[in-house]
Amino acid sequence: MAALIALPWVEPDKFALHVISLIAIASIAAMGLQVLLGYSGQLSIGQAAFYGIGAYTSAFLTAKLGVPFPLALIGAGVAAAIASLLMVPITRLTGAYLAVATLGFSIIVYLFIKNEEWLTGGSYGFIGIPRAELFGYVLRDPRSSYYLNVGVAAIVYFVFARIEGSRFARAINAIRQDADAARASGIRVTLLKSECFVIAAFVAGLAGSLYAHEVRYLAPNDFTFWKSIEILIMVVIGGVGSLAGAILGAAVVVGLPEYLRAIGDYRMLVFGAILIATMLFGEGGLAALVATLGRRLAVAMRLVPKLPASRKVAQ
Amino acid sequence: MSTAAPGECLLEARGVTRRFGGLVAVDAVDLAVRRGSVHGLIGPNGAGKTTLLNLIAGVHRVGSGLLRFAAQDITRDSTAKRARAGIRRTFQNLKLFGEMTALENAAIGLHAQTHGGFFDAVFSTPRHRREERSIADRSMAALHFVGLAGLAQARADSLAYGHRRLLEIARAIVARPALLLLDEPAAGLNVTEAAHVSDLIARIRDEGTTVVLVEHHMDVVMRVSDEITVLNYGRRLAHGTPAQIQEHPAVIEAYLGRAAETDRAQA
Repeated sequence: MAALIALPWVEPDKFALHVISLIAIASIAAMGLQVLLGYSGQLSIGQAAFYGIGAYTSAFLTAKLGVPFPLALIGAGVAAAIASLLMVPITRLTGAYLAVATLGFSIIVYLFIKNEEWLTGGSYGFIGIPRAELFGYVLRDPRSSYYLNVGVAAIVYFVFARIEGSRFARAINAIRQDADAARASGIRVTLLKSECFVIAAFVAGLAGSLYAHEVRYLAPNDFTFWKSIEILIMVVIGGVGSLAGAILGAAVVVGLPEYLRAIGDYRMLVFGAILIATMLFGEGGLAALVATLGRRLAVAMRLVPKLPASRKVAQ
Repeated sequence: MSTAAPGECLLEARGVTRRFGGLVAVDAVDLAVRRGSVHGLIGPNGAGKTTLLNLIAGVHRVGSGLLRFAAQDITRDSTAKRARAGIRRTFQNLKLFGEMTALENAAIGLHAQTHGGFFDAVFSTPRHRREERSIADRSMAALHFVGLAGLAQARADSLAYGHRRLLEIARAIVARPALLLLDEPAAGLNVTEAAHVSDLIARIRDEGTTVVLVEHHMDVVMRVSDEITVLNYGRRLAHGTPAQIQEHPAVIEAYLGRAAETDRAQA
């Protein structure tokens, strides 16, 4: 935490701060999907739709209507959450069927963004998005927008961390593990699944808003199904079910390609290989891998006694 | 959940029928379960016992007929609604939440009686903290009741088979439901464990929960049932006290006669 606050002063490189901002923004959308997929077990490959709705809502509110940024940020989340209510009828679906239905929604939103030029600028993109502004202070440099983006990501993390171990978290975990048994205990499965969709969409909308004001130019191609896949990859390589994993995943998916630019066209090849390797060697994703390595290191340094690593007890 | 006199009918099925394709799994069955009783449901394999239980629990839709619970028509209610009204069940092929602890599994049974949602958890209101404490206490009491208190923090998928059966029962009774549907709670258990389950069922009834028991262990059924309904080929074959059922000619024929004949025919 302290490291995150001090970082812009230690490493004032503008590009690095911008990349960390993009990682923070992506991690917000990924944490939302973590609640949806990791907790309630619903596979969505349509999160880019909510991300896009948030981005364009915020852009429109600030650029065209002159709404202050904090209100536009909340408005973006609310707009995405309202759009996610369209998902309620499909929460009855599970697995691959649900995934394809969310993908369908994502495609429709993409086409809307691309074709409704009067609202979104269409293929020309949405230009002239103002900088984020907080309490009359315009966030002009990468350092201040770093604090905004990392700050919102931290809030989202702590909010989601709060629900762990609560009645709400138990119920959505129960739905993921056995929906029939959950129903037999009186859990309203469709209602809770829908709540998870709304929560994930709300934070995806927040992420979209932050993105709009970070890059200040939106194009439909930022919100294709590939963006949805990216968000899904973050969650899966980070570790399904782990909030910290969603952030790690975002760091890898957003950060790695930026720093692999040196190797040119090979970067996506390396990226793909890393994805495969993570899936092969890191059951439970990067979060589990880091935990295992940390434990081995601690054992090697004789900080903790060597215990049989019982996965069933460690939880 | 009610102060009505014992002996009154808590659950009533009238002419309940369910078809699967061409097969009539449950055929115009009448069932009357008295409040405060243990009602055994027996019959040969494929007699329709589990289907009838699933119809009562709301897993399958009733094709025709009527289901009444606590004087309410529940024929069209969803599973969750019936569970919230006080009908809980266990599953023949164990449906525990494997990644959760035993205590958390039991806590799920209290979901319908508690309220804390997403925002309560985020803001951790005093009301929410009080509710979480009460959930933990009541779940622990339920584990204690079935004899699993010592395993409260063990993950459900690490429990021994017999303990998993008991945990299913704990999750189903923690909310003190009016009606408990037990689907072969003693299946796969040894004699000692089965005796413990019989004992447990009697104690559940004494705590005020009415029980419908589907079970193949005849000693368990005969020991704890107040009344027994026998199904055969989806139809009600007989109904009475354990003593009456043991003497019932049609039951003896269904269980022994035809089985013996088939054995001879196959030999």
